[in-house]
Amino acid sequence: MKQTETAGPTGPASTAAPPQAPPWLPWWAGVTAALMLYALYQAWIAAPTEATMGIYQRIFYVHVPAALVGFGVFFINLMASVWYLARRSRAADAMAVASAEVGVALLAINLITGPIWAKPIWGIWWTWDARLTLTLVIWIMYVSYLVLRQFTPHSELQPRLAAAYAMFIFVAVPVDYMAIRWWRTQHPQPVLFGGPHAGLAPAMLYALCVGFAAYIALAATLLRLRYRQEQLRHKIELQRRARALAE
Amino acid sequence: MHMTPPAAPPPTPTAPASATAIAPAGHPSPLAIFWATWRRDLRIEWRERQALNAMLFYALLVIVIFSFAFEAQAALTVRVGGGLLWVAFLFAGLLALDRAFARETAGDCLTGLAISPASRAAALAGKFSAAFVLMLAIEGVILPLFAVLFNAPPGARWGGILLTAVLGTWALAATGTYFSALGAHARQRTLLLPLLLLPVAIPAVIAMVQATQVYLHGQGGAGFWLQLLAAYDAIFTALGVLLADVVLEVE
Repeated sequence: MKQTETAGPTGPASTAAPPQAPPWLPWWAGVTAALMLYALYQAWIAAPTEATMGIYQRIFYVHVPAALVGFGVFFINLMASVWYLARRSRAADAMAVASAEVGVALLAINLITGPIWAKPIWGIWWTWDARLTLTLVIWIMYVSYLVLRQFTPHSELQPRLAAAYAMFIFVAVPVDYMAIRWWRTQHPQPVLFGGPHAGLAPAMLYALCVGFAAYIALAATLLRLRYRQEQLRHKIELQRRARALAE
Repeated sequence: MHMTPPAAPPPTPTAPASATAIAPAGHPSPLAIFWATWRRDLRIEWRERQALNAMLFYALLVIVIFSFAFEAQAALTVRVGGGLLWVAFLFAGLLALDRAFARETAGDCLTGLAISPASRAAALAGKFSAAFVLMLAIEGVILPLFAVLFNAPPGARWGGILLTAVLGTWALAATGTYFSALGAHARQRTLLLPLLLLPVAIPAVIAMVQATQVYLHGQGGAGFWLQLLAAYDAIFTALGVLLADVVLEVE
């Protein structure tokens, strides 16, 4: 019963040597850091100040990329979880952990910057608007996913249960979307949702694109680092278990 | 089902063989497994009455504490009664759902269930329906108490509230039983269950509270909330059945 790693239908990934740090990783991290700085320069200094919202609008260059890249990373988590259930590949599970953590961090940036912008512009920190509510709910579900991972022992059990929960999250999101839509249309909206989306000046669009590039690079760097770290952790775990059996 | 080990690996003595490989010729039908699990769970609960007593008293306490926290007047009940009622049901239900698998881990019954040739989906469905019946029984006691203690408005439509309770309890029991099985091996199992269940139950909670509110108020239609609840029930019951093998698989 102990040798779960060899007895189970594991993929080739569990026996293969864990990946070396790719030689390009430090370079990539450097490029990411430079891009992040350039994105800040664009957001704070280069982009023109917006006419009605003034300086507060500048948070938009952080807020929007963090959200969209965060949702993209959650999509990677879904793909990795499906892949794990189909193939029982440890590499897929490592990617699932990495993507859930990076996604939660990115969406946290989005959820924190949102109210900072909303307070001066809307006059309130938060409103239970459909989009805000859904974002918060998705974030909470992935935090639950991480808690589940933390509470289950490191064995074949953990990736399996986590992947099952990821399937529930995936199915819950559209149902949530419907429920929240209906719930919100039942009540009058406290604030009109007037985003700064209608027509973007070219300089603003450029700053936004730089923001996207920076956040995609950041997500890729973090994913790669965490992915490798998870695989190393698993390898250490296997060796520790093998030693315990040998003694 | 694609969740089972692919293409039947050769059953070596060390590796646990897949359940289907060692199934005897005349193993019981899924329906028999379903009824057996259902009867067994309810019988155990009837004999020890642990979850039943705890749930009943807990739900009662929630209602009583709410009546201190808020002024229990008819006007308030019309406004937020649905929410109060479902918070009580939800937290009482968590006790039943936790007990459902706490009992299984104690004697390592979960492993027995998982390695038996019985259909895991049927066993899970049996446990679900036992929890469902248990939760409905508690709600049947709490609902009249709530009506009395919170001075429910005379125009309230109790038939609609009962229908909402059945659909809503189905929703909580279906996802809750699955997550209870999912968390059965975890440290801090009791703490984990609400953390897993509550976020996924949000659409169901919205629908049941809104529908109950409409029926307490006595006017307006709650048809689409009930439809949402029914859709939630169907989707998540199907998902639980599909993924039953993943959660009850042997290592």
